[in-house]
Amino acid sequence: MERTTELDSVTFAAMLRQGAAVLGKEKATINDLNVFPIPDGDTGDNMYMTMKAGCTAVQDHLGTLSEIAAAASSGMLLGARGNSGVILSRIFAGLAKGLKGVVVADTETFARAMNEAVSEAYKSVPVPVEGTMLTVLREGVAGADASSDLNRYFETLLPAMQASLDHTPELLQVLKDAGVVDSGGAGLCCVFRGMDAALCGQVCDEEPLTVAAPAAPTVDLGRFTEDSTLEFGYCTEFLLRLMRSKVDPDTFDEQVIIDYLNRVGESVVAFREGTIVKVHVHTFTPGVILNEMQRYGEFLTLKIENMSLQHNEWKKEEGEASFSRPQQRYGVVTVAMGTGMKQRFEESGADVVIEGGQTMNPSTQEFVAAFRQLHAQHILVFPNNPNIRMAAEQAASLYKGAEVHVMPSATLGEGYYGVASVDRSLSAVEEVIQGVNEVMQSVVTGMVSTAIRDAEGDNVTVRKGDFVGYSGKRMLSDSPNRSHAVQDLVARLGAAERDVMVVFYGERVPAEEAQALVETLAKTYPMLEIMLNNGGQPIYDYILVLC
Amino acid sequence: MLTFFTDTDCDITPKECAEYGIKLISMPYTVGEQVVYPYIDFQEFDAHAFYEMLRAGTMPTTSAMSEEAYLQYFEPEFAAGNDILYVHFSSGTSNTFTIMNQAVEKLKAKYPERKFHEVDTLGITALSLNVVLEAADLYKAGKTAEEIVEWAKVEVPKFPMYFFADDLKFFRRSGRVSGLAATMGGLIGIRPIIYLNDEGKMVSIGKEKGRAKAIARLVQYVEELGEDVKAHRVVIGHSDCPEIAAEAERQLKEKFGQDLRVLTTVVNPTIGSHCGPNGLGICFHAKHR
Repeated sequence: MERTTELDSVTFAAMLRQGAAVLGKEKATINDLNVFPIPDGDTGDNMYMTMKAGCTAVQDHLGTLSEIAAAASSGMLLGARGNSGVILSRIFAGLAKGLKGVVVADTETFARAMNEAVSEAYKSVPVPVEGTMLTVLREGVAGADASSDLNRYFETLLPAMQASLDHTPELLQVLKDAGVVDSGGAGLCCVFRGMDAALCGQVCDEEPLTVAAPAAPTVDLGRFTEDSTLEFGYCTEFLLRLMRSKVDPDTFDEQVIIDYLNRVGESVVAFREGTIVKVHVHTFTPGVILNEMQRYGEFLTLKIENMSLQHNEWKKEEGEASFSRPQQRYGVVTVAMGTGMKQRFEESGADVVIEGGQTMNPSTQEFVAAFRQLHAQHILVFPNNPNIRMAAEQAASLYKGAEVHVMPSATLGEGYYGVASVDRSLSAVEEVIQGVNEVMQSVVTGMVSTAIRDAEGDNVTVRKGDFVGYSGKRMLSDSPNRSHAVQDLVARLGAAERDVMVVFYGERVPAEEAQALVETLAKTYPMLEIMLNNGGQPIYDYILVLC
Repeated sequence: MLTFFTDTDCDITPKECAEYGIKLISMPYTVGEQVVYPYIDFQEFDAHAFYEMLRAGTMPTTSAMSEEAYLQYFEPEFAAGNDILYVHFSSGTSNTFTIMNQAVEKLKAKYPERKFHEVDTLGITALSLNVVLEAADLYKAGKTAEEIVEWAKVEVPKFPMYFFADDLKFFRRSGRVSGLAATMGGLIGIRPIIYLNDEGKMVSIGKEKGRAKAIARLVQYVEELGEDVKAHRVVIGHSDCPEIAAEAERQLKEKFGQDLRVLTTVVNPTIGSHCGPNGLGICFHAKHR
């Protein structure tokens, strides 16, 4: 076999694609590496979607290794889903950082970039936990031999990563209890296995990576007539290539552009990759901005849309109401699944409800898109799931159009009460957040779903196929009868000491069953006010919120 | 002769009015395009149907009466040589009284010898009903208008009403309650506790989590603020939640004895348009509001 001593951009792009392909084949297996015996594991899907976003970004892209790595990284940053996806995107951001300015990398350079990837990955989480993909990457990189060619590097990297992965249950008790290895680490091994294969020229049944373009929104030209007033301005997006004839790309600070855009426009999202500045801005006078931009470079792509025509589901429903108001002080974005659940969140005060949840983590980009929909000074984001929080935070740091505050809602219950507690009459955002946090802390959420394997819970033995009731990471009830599982869970959550319980029943539960259950519970807890809602959510037959 | 008027915002029924010989002014509400006059456009108030309509999403509105309408109620009395005593719902909650005053000024000019007496119950629904019935008792006993007005000066401030609403979108829309945090809502079971102050305005003074605690808080007000509670009626008003009203009555009788005179009323549709379904209020005799 021919040994590779230098890595170029074409090979690197092939490696990314093959990494995604191998991950794609294994993603179901990785999903099942769930420490919790509930069919809601999604690490494989999240990492795969994140890799795919990286591949899409480098599709039809020519450039140096540095440029390709940077393009992949920015695609992954926006496409990142779930905490594992966010960490993966940061690994590749580190790699891109390490390859900055590199046209073709030798082993030593690549190894240095991999060290950069490790350090960037560790920086992506406030409190790094060992026994996760962080460990697998770090130990793999430490065990890789950089003294020879790139093949040798990968030949030594992979076994070291695998050994580290196999060891993860020794570092994390939850993994040991569940009898699984870390799912993120397993996903990372797939990615690097695929990269190694591509490096060796083995491109096996590569799956087509064409990402379905989002359906073009139906534009109703009648929304803007000869008598309309330009109320929302133009959504203006472009890629600007910084031109050497106009500026020195090496020393040019793109903040100049960002500051300018923030002065003349709204909802600004702008960042730089290499000599390309990507811009999104809402403005009433796009021409003025375009002229200004030509002082720095030339346009690669350009898109200008009248926002009055932009498809806006919720605006249509609201009729004249909300969007016609000028900028609001507060906007609320949250994440929920199920028609009933989403509707309740909206009624409670959410401006945008992103479809998603434990099994479908929204990407960073979806958060940014939600932020753009809002005309708000402060945006409060309720991710309602610890595994969605990092993507929300990544989006918050990318979005410049508002001050975005990611609220620590770890459950749908906390999110539901939190959203309903946003007091828009207060002018100090700190007070709003404090009020929300107080309410969220007073709430406990319980869920009922089906167990996918036997497990030992908190004073309860969980059997595969049974209904299991849990709260956070604690499994509290188990029964072959769904309603009994709920009743036991409610008792263990201290319903007798609570005042209100909001119940969302899922898509698999017949309304009569839920109704009968609530009547039984009302008799057991006469002082508890029970509010029954058809949530329509998948996987979780019941979501109970006690306050 | 003295003619005693009250209005439908005070929850009194035509049957009760007939017993006391009282005339009833119908305060309108609007559903869609249709203006409805209680007890003119219908004989019996079908409370359940009305509040079911609100639960299904309809939000009725209310509007002030016309000067002409007031003239039609009052002028025949003055023309017949009768004086008028009008015991009405809180002028602090509606601008209809500005228009009424204009009508009364015209009539006074036209009938300078006639007298128009007014008692503002500084309340709505159960509170107004309690005051109207007390005043009507005096009227029936032959007290003069002046005596009833004097009585009201002392006694109206001693009839508080504490209540909670279930779905605050009704109150938020009308903007008639002050101090209402934007965040409390029926969807999460947190209810504001509201009372009518000495000016007859609705003020939110706190909140309770869960219906059981909300009921208990209302009952607690009766215990703590009450004065000669048993010498008067206790009026419970509800907007189509009879089982909750029954629970409040049970708790009140447990505290004050089974012989407590409890009267339960269903909140009239005009006021109900502002407070929505599943609300509960208690009016009682107290040291102060």
